[in-house]
Amino acid sequence: MGVRSLRRWAAIHKWTSLVCAVFLLLFCLTGLPLIFKHELRELLSEDPPYAVLPADTPRANLDAVVAAARKRHPDHVPMFVFVDDDEPKVTVGMLPSPTAPPAQTRQLKFDARTGELLKETEPAAASGPDFLDVMLRLHRDLFAGLAGELFLGAMGLVFAASVVSGVVLYAPFMRRLEFGTVRWRRGRRLRWLDLHNLMGIVTTAWVLVVAVTGVLNELSRPLFQLYQLTDVQAMLAPYRGRAVPALDRLSSIEAAYVLVQRELPGRTPTSVVFPTNRVGSPHHFLVWTKGSSPLTGRLFTPVLVDAERGELSMVVDLPWHLRAIQVSRPLHFGDYGGLPLKFIWAVLDLVTIVVLASGLYLWLSRRRAPIDVELAELEGVADEA
Amino acid sequence: MRPSAVWRWPLLLAAATLLGLGAALLGEGGVWWGLSWTALVLPLAVMAFCMLRR
Repeated sequence: MGVRSLRRWAAIHKWTSLVCAVFLLLFCLTGLPLIFKHELRELLSEDPPYAVLPADTPRANLDAVVAAARKRHPDHVPMFVFVDDDEPKVTVGMLPSPTAPPAQTRQLKFDARTGELLKETEPAAASGPDFLDVMLRLHRDLFAGLAGELFLGAMGLVFAASVVSGVVLYAPFMRRLEFGTVRWRRGRRLRWLDLHNLMGIVTTAWVLVVAVTGVLNELSRPLFQLYQLTDVQAMLAPYRGRAVPALDRLSSIEAAYVLVQRELPGRTPTSVVFPTNRVGSPHHFLVWTKGSSPLTGRLFTPVLVDAERGELSMVVDLPWHLRAIQVSRPLHFGDYGGLPLKFIWAVLDLVTIVVLASGLYLWLSRRRAPIDVELAELEGVADEA
Repeated sequence: MRPSAVWRWPLLLAAATLLGLGAALLGEGGVWWGLSWTALVLPLAVMAFCMLRR
């Protein structure tokens, strides 16, 4: 590599790293507990345990569950019903009005078999976020909504540029060294330079995957909203002008759920979104379905069921960029390979913090010489050894 | 050192990482999870080895 291009890459590495350093530290620190979100939630949960029932106990009727939720909160409207396939639970989400902000969602958790109410979660707006909510908000949007998501997404891109420029600089620094050399006894700066290079290069692939999938996740909301405004509206064009069905005139949710289950073998319906919900269609139940393999289990496909006639209207084929976002989620969260994968994720996260800290140290203790001069000096020291 | 030699280990470990990330996503549990964990631990193990041999 020529002197000019070496200096240019060094400048790119320095500035991209400095710009994103604080945010990368934030990502790593808040991401650490989020890796174990599921386990921590279970640990901190004070929910009553599920009744012990035979495994083949049939699921409670969803219409009855929703009726129970509405009876309990007659001043609220149901927005969605979530049928878990992991635990025997059915969750009903309700809002004071269809246009109320999602933060006011009240969640009622029912036993999926007995239909008994197990727990009611107050709206986040009233009860305040818990520890994991705070971590998630800091990690995702700095409590700044869409603007925060786009900003942190941009920081993720800057970080990816910092990683790529670091990889480019790896070669000139290592050209006379064996892989993995750590010069322990040649001064602190040289020691940390070697450790920075070693830890950085072995984690490069993971860190790039997590950075890029993180950026995709940050784009998730605007891209789904755009899709809702354009393609979904086009799909709903035939229904335009038809009166929006009243809540009490809706067809059976249970029937919609079972219909989708029957018509799409191999796919599991996970939730039914009410026509009252702004997400979806005012004329349909929107049934989210997923496949059964680890990959297709992440690819959620919406199915529209006519909310008055109870007929299957259409299976929506999501565009590739929304599919990419869906696949990027497990690759970012590390939640698709059991607990050992989560521990590996945590160790890689910690190594990334050390790479960040050592990079900062190398910058703070930097020599006031151009990088090529410093490199030549370093190699001189190595030759003397 | 020849440029190819500089990249030999980094490329090998990056390939192991991608294999590990893909195995658990595309395979269905069991042996695929084991493969995934092994492939993803490899870069960390190599790193630890390099740091411990003083």
